[in-house]
Amino acid sequence: MSVNVESAPTPSPSAAAPALEVRGLVKHYPGVKALDGVDLVVRPHEVLGLAGENGAGKSTLLKALVGLVRPDAGEIWVRGEKVRLKSVVDAADHGIGMVFQEQSLVPNLTAAENIVLGAEGAGVRRGVYRWDTMRRLAQEQLDKIGSHIDPLARTDTLSFADRQMVEIAKVLRIEERTSHPPVIILDEPTSVLESKEIETLFTQVRRLREFASVIFVSHRLDEVLDVCDRVSVLRGGQSVGEVATAGALPAELHRMMIGSTGADDHYHDTAIRRPEQEPEPLLSVRGLAGKTFRDVSFDVRPGEILGIVGVHGSGREDVCRALFGAEPTSAGEALLDGRKLNLSDTRSACAAGIGYVPAERKIEGMVGPMSVADNMTLAKQKARCVGPLVSPRKQASLVDRWIDRLSIRTPQRSTAIQRLSGGNQQKVVLARWLVADDVRLLLLDHPTRGLDIGARSEVYRLMRELANNGVATVLLADSLEEAIGMSDRIVVMSDGRMTAEVGCPSGNKPTPLDLVKEMV
Amino acid sequence: MTSPAEDVDVVAARPRPRRGVSLRDAGPPIALVVVFLVFSVLSPEFRTLGNVQNIMDTASVLAVVTCGITFVLLMGSIDLSAPGIMGAAAIAVALLVANNRNDHDLGLAGVLVAVLLAAALGCLSGLALVLLKVPSFMTTLGVSAVGLGVATLMFNGVQPNISDDLLASLAVDRLLGFSYLTWLAAACVLVGYLIQRYSRLGRYAYAIGGAEEVLSLSGVKVAPYKVAIFTLAGAFYGLAGVMVTSQLSAGLVQAGKGYDFAAITAAVVGGTLLTGGRGGVLHSAVGVLLVTVLTNGLVQIGVSPYWQGGVQGLIVVVAVAAAVLPQRRRNQVVK
Amino acid sequence: MSTPVITKPGTDAAVKGGPTLSQRLTLFMPLIALVALLAALTIAEPDFLTQRSLTAVVRTSAPLVVLAAGATLVVLCGGIDLSIAALASLSSVLFALWLPDLGGLTTPVVIAVAGLIGALQGIGHVLLRIPSFIMTLGGMSIFSAVALVISDAGPVRVTDRDATKWLTLYVAGYVPMAFAVAVLVITLIWLALRLTPLQSYLTSTGYSEASARLAGAPVDLVKVLAFTVSGACAGLASIMLVSRNFSGSPTMADNLLLPAVAAIVVGGTAITGGHGSLWRSLVGALVITLLRVGLPIVGVPSAYEQILYGAIIVVAVALTLDRSKVLIIK
Repeated sequence: MSVNVESAPTPSPSAAAPALEVRGLVKHYPGVKALDGVDLVVRPHEVLGLAGENGAGKSTLLKALVGLVRPDAGEIWVRGEKVRLKSVVDAADHGIGMVFQEQSLVPNLTAAENIVLGAEGAGVRRGVYRWDTMRRLAQEQLDKIGSHIDPLARTDTLSFADRQMVEIAKVLRIEERTSHPPVIILDEPTSVLESKEIETLFTQVRRLREFASVIFVSHRLDEVLDVCDRVSVLRGGQSVGEVATAGALPAELHRMMIGSTGADDHYHDTAIRRPEQEPEPLLSVRGLAGKTFRDVSFDVRPGEILGIVGVHGSGREDVCRALFGAEPTSAGEALLDGRKLNLSDTRSACAAGIGYVPAERKIEGMVGPMSVADNMTLAKQKARCVGPLVSPRKQASLVDRWIDRLSIRTPQRSTAIQRLSGGNQQKVVLARWLVADDVRLLLLDHPTRGLDIGARSEVYRLMRELANNGVATVLLADSLEEAIGMSDRIVVMSDGRMTAEVGCPSGNKPTPLDLVKEMV
Repeated sequence: MTSPAEDVDVVAARPRPRRGVSLRDAGPPIALVVVFLVFSVLSPEFRTLGNVQNIMDTASVLAVVTCGITFVLLMGSIDLSAPGIMGAAAIAVALLVANNRNDHDLGLAGVLVAVLLAAALGCLSGLALVLLKVPSFMTTLGVSAVGLGVATLMFNGVQPNISDDLLASLAVDRLLGFSYLTWLAAACVLVGYLIQRYSRLGRYAYAIGGAEEVLSLSGVKVAPYKVAIFTLAGAFYGLAGVMVTSQLSAGLVQAGKGYDFAAITAAVVGGTLLTGGRGGVLHSAVGVLLVTVLTNGLVQIGVSPYWQGGVQGLIVVVAVAAAVLPQRRRNQVVK
Repeated sequence: MSTPVITKPGTDAAVKGGPTLSQRLTLFMPLIALVALLAALTIAEPDFLTQRSLTAVVRTSAPLVVLAAGATLVVLCGGIDLSIAALASLSSVLFALWLPDLGGLTTPVVIAVAGLIGALQGIGHVLLRIPSFIMTLGGMSIFSAVALVISDAGPVRVTDRDATKWLTLYVAGYVPMAFAVAVLVITLIWLALRLTPLQSYLTSTGYSEASARLAGAPVDLVKVLAFTVSGACAGLASIMLVSRNFSGSPTMADNLLLPAVAAIVVGGTAITGGHGSLWRSLVGALVITLLRVGLPIVGVPSAYEQILYGAIIVVAVALTLDRSKVLIIK
């Protein structure tokens, strides 16, 4: 979607030091290299775009720039001076501010209070608010972006677009702290805006250029190319290059985001699959709609792995949850083996033979302080019971069998699951659905997130085995490589709708490039 | 997509702006008028001037307590310490002004000391919350017990009856038909409103209830404000305890019995949310009137006064349900 | 009241090390407290450690034990039941009023009715999404009001002592029957939890309700069940109280709420949910009863009892709270 707005004449970039420079930034989380040597240069009075697919490191980089996260190595230079950013306030003192999407405004305070929050200055004298001064201070910032919001309106009465203006004004206040032009980061500002509001935003962004530098992050590459002067691309935690936007095409950016690799050998079939028989679909989804998605329809056959790919906001996570009864639906239906599924609660889904492995393992997947054995038998109690009573012996042998089968490394059956490594925790959560040997459909939401290479391949092996045994799987993968490598078919979702459905047979896999085109 | 409060990326939903005067703001005053009219019709004794004065007098102590608890509720915390703090203050003031147990005659200074004692107890609740990280309903439950214990110690088996002129006159003398206690309550509500609207303490109380993490990310130290709010609430409870002593002409350990729950009911009914961030002192004042008018009216039409507590209980459950139901999500965790 | 949960990125490395010192302490806290208290009281009053006074302590503790045990189930789910005392008072009035008509059946009927009332609270909490403490706070005043009205705000005499006589007997000559019943009830509940999937469901709901739901655990049912048992226990406690006072009254058990809460937290059950047990509350109740009975013996004014409860509650909760669960404490 392209937007037609007159560009304001750009002041020529000065030859002075860059407004912001990042050199070799590194940030590791256990099992994951979020940033692996990122370099970035932001010139004064420019709008720099930042692009990259999920997991490329954008989010971590932004958090490092704004002081929310401390890098393990590397340097951040602001106007030619090396800095260590310890907090958001610290970053603000150095002139860097970010417009977050949510939860960075206090909804029940006035816009003015939000704009000057924590630094009310003359607006509050000896603990007493001077509302006229507050109004004036806020108005100063709002004028910079030409916004006509009433500063004394309560924030939650403002429209979303107006709230964004308040956020921008709040960040602009940074100018008061330093005498230098600030660096303003806009993180996915257009995802929830409508086209008219996007036009307005773009005007503001161009205006900002006059007295600040802007980092503009968006997965909508046409927007990035429209409003930015240059684009920097991240891939796998590293900078892969920069492109001047004048005359650039989205395809070029795609190539840089994805690279030229095909599906990694790592994920290839490890066992001979039984030949495709085209049996009847096990799962049929028809016109499913919920809060963040609509018109979702697809089939999954027994033994098939269906991958759903999409960037943030695509709605794919909610589709999975809806199928498990964990997310309300407003229209459509799902059939398992021809019978309509009850999507109103998770117990019905469990009883129907559906299993769900959530993305947030720590808060939604496992019960941390409970033992491995209890976590494993939580969903399918009948597997460990004799009649209505729990049989410790039956549970012990059952759990031991699966610990063995899945190579789960745990000191004992009774060890609390939170003491295991992430990979082993995930295996326990997976095993939960397998212990009763009655699972028909598995919904896997980012199953390998946070796992190291060894654990990942074990999970892949397990998925293949289950597929060979006739289990249908819906996979939300962490990366396109994973999705392509593991899936038999892929559904692409973007902004709540299905945009493509492609076959992904072994030997004739689509390239990540093909998919990215439909995702953004 | 990021948000400052989580390390997890957020999928942004589109929040809808609130427009116009909400039901929460307009409902209680309308309900107040309706209830008043209904009872006026149902009972001739209800609509006499004497009864209205009676209502205001009865409401005065509750109004002061509710004023204090409102600030705590705005933050998103809960306060069950009113009975204990009121008891301690009631006995303290009874022993400090002219009374039958000792020779003290401190008058206004005695009132001040009692209020300070109460504020100190409130401060204790706040400190336990921020330092020990114990949830507010446990800290205030504990402080209430401590307050009751302190009150019992001071009471020492002999009830202190006061003979102080000032306190006696507060309850008895009238200005423009309303007792001075009622005027005092009105003044408290006014002061409470000013604090809430014009002081940093008040505005930050709203902010803590609305989005505490945003406040701390903006570099504000939230803990001192929390302690200050609990201290302020304690001071209000202390004043309420003094008012009860004035009304009864004696210091009672049970001076504050039931006020914790009545104040929560009044605040919730008036539109102050338990989850924090919404409502305020004026809302709570309307809630106080509503609850008082309701209970007075019920008694006037012949309902046993024993039902009072039960009616309040029902009201608070309904009010909270009404506030929470429209926002419920599937798999929402409610403790 | 909902609190946002902030998580750190998932760790892949295994968490090493066993329980910390503070965790070890809380594990044995109730027992340590019990022994320490016994020792202190015996030192202050050497005659304390006789069979007669210990029996008296144990007999006095029975209603509190039952009350605390029932409420512990609700706390294990992550909630709180503030209505137990008022419900016990109401049940005592019901017992006294119904005894002439129902005779021997009064006991099971009162317990069943109390359980039903508890179930209603649980259903309200679950269906209306009202936080448990508000639900039970409201319940508390409703039960109190009902009790006041049907008893006409005064005690209701029980003239037929035979109905409750059994509770005043002694098992094997030493152990008060009421206490034995309390222990029996706890054992039965504990067995029901242990031997069935209920323990898993209960614990997972308390530790991580979101995970429990997504694992298909019947969270709502478990919560209602917990409230039902809590109500029934309040009913049983009321009968024990009636057997001692030979009357039912609308305020009979009201002063047991604070001690019950203190018993639960002193026992080491975490109010964040999941962690704890009925046995811990048994020990906690004994500790609290010792305090109650012991303070006058050593000459400490009973006013200090309240202050102690308050301090105990705050300290015990501070020690047992699971900080990792909730980052923003309100």
